[in-house]
Amino acid sequence: MLNLHSFLFKSATYSMFFVIVSYAALLMLFTSCSANLSVQHEVPLADSSTQAVQYSIVCFIHGDGDYIYHDTNGKEYKADEQALAVAKKVAQQNLYAEVYIFHQKPKRHFLLFFPLRDGEFFYYRNGQLIANELYRRDNERSHFQNEVDLYHRFHENVKHDVVSMFLYYGHEVPEFDGAAYDASYPDRKFIIDDLAVGLKDFTHDSARFDLMILSTCYGGTPYTINALGPFAKTIIASPENLHLSYFDLSSLERLDLRMRDGDVPTFAKRFAHEAFDQLEKDIQTEVSVAVYDIAGVDEYLLSVSAAYTKTLNTMKSEPLFPLTTIEHCDCAEFPEYLKPTMSAGVEILYRPALFGKSKFKQKHSGWECLRSVAP
Amino acid sequence: MKAQMFLGFIVMMFVLALPVNAGGKGEIQKYFNDVANKVKATENVTEKRTILDESLKGMSKVLNMVQSSPFISNEDGAVIGRIKASLQEKQDELTGNNGYQRVPDTQLNNFSNYVVQSMEQAETISISLVALLLIIILVVLLV
Repeated sequence: MLNLHSFLFKSATYSMFFVIVSYAALLMLFTSCSANLSVQHEVPLADSSTQAVQYSIVCFIHGDGDYIYHDTNGKEYKADEQALAVAKKVAQQNLYAEVYIFHQKPKRHFLLFFPLRDGEFFYYRNGQLIANELYRRDNERSHFQNEVDLYHRFHENVKHDVVSMFLYYGHEVPEFDGAAYDASYPDRKFIIDDLAVGLKDFTHDSARFDLMILSTCYGGTPYTINALGPFAKTIIASPENLHLSYFDLSSLERLDLRMRDGDVPTFAKRFAHEAFDQLEKDIQTEVSVAVYDIAGVDEYLLSVSAAYTKTLNTMKSEPLFPLTTIEHCDCAEFPEYLKPTMSAGVEILYRPALFGKSKFKQKHSGWECLRSVAP
Repeated sequence: MKAQMFLGFIVMMFVLALPVNAGGKGEIQKYFNDVANKVKATENVTEKRTILDESLKGMSKVLNMVQSSPFISNEDGAVIGRIKASLQEKQDELTGNNGYQRVPDTQLNNFSNYVVQSMEQAETISISLVALLLIIILVVLLV
């Protein structure tokens, strides 16, 4: 018994020593990952920029939430990691592009107390990884300031025409409240207006992205499109729920072959059709993909802006919020949204859920609205 | 003694860190994915229906208990209420109640996929860690 006790005590001492040494090693490893030291792969920009950049893609992948889904064979995926893998492939296969990927990860701590970096940045140019850095997402100034700083560190203003794209992959960006958007920052709020502020910093008020892909649930509301419209010429979004398998990004591979004429609206429609076909094949819940030509939807947005703002304000002032249920539904269900210009500038691809109460709904206006339902 | 206490502290940190880091992620989705796998694994239609019915009832029971727990905030309670309502609709459709057409026998596999995908789109994303951990514990204990 004494021997056993001695053995256990020695084992415990060795284990403790091992744990302390491991922690020390990990601490050294993590503290060495400062923003400037964590470049894992570096190619001099002068060498890699011999091929002119024709496409510039900024891709945000939000991964700070419950992003697990399963395919119909029961295989589990993490939505953000899947999107990241495809985004990297897109970056590698586009030899005439620069691609900025920001992967927003959950906050984690070393030894429960020391925060680790919760953002990872990848910069590809001409298919090569130029920089890969860890950074901190938490920032007092604004939601995207650190990302904007990284973007402007590598971005060069070129004189020739570049097709620019902004991609956001994550869960629904709320239009008000926005608490707990990041699961690991429950007190931090994030709403669509914050995304718009971030976009303003990316574009420096000078230009719009040629194409924005908003791969989230309920991206096709009048408010969201109105808020993001000043920063994009064409937006692809899902007015209804969007399954976590998202819009298939692989349509962005080999843009030089797929977008030879530089016709972004035509490419956007092709992207939407391919994303829709992919979702329709695998998903039993409803599928909706809409392409918004911002110049074409302006008049409709103006005509319904007051009605939508009134709804939002009512919901914000609701004393029981967030205990009331907010339901999303097709704007076509409300008379005040039925305008002659409702379908102008919108191409909508829609298939109802194969089960559930909306399975008989045959078409969608392309615009999603809100209504409150008593708890 | 101090060394043992320190060792105990380190071990406790590891034990606590695991569920906190995991964040209870995907547990409801995993539960229904397991259900779908069981449904697809059997050829017997009655058995398929029973598996689906019992799993929907089981999760609803768990959510009822979590919702009435004193540890749950009003906000979480509201979200859980909405998930419960969604599960009830699925149960109604499975059995053909409350105006729903009964899911045909030939569609039960697809319906099980629908339940999984619907839960993957549900608001489980916005439930707090405390609520999720309670759900996980009760699923393990009761279902």
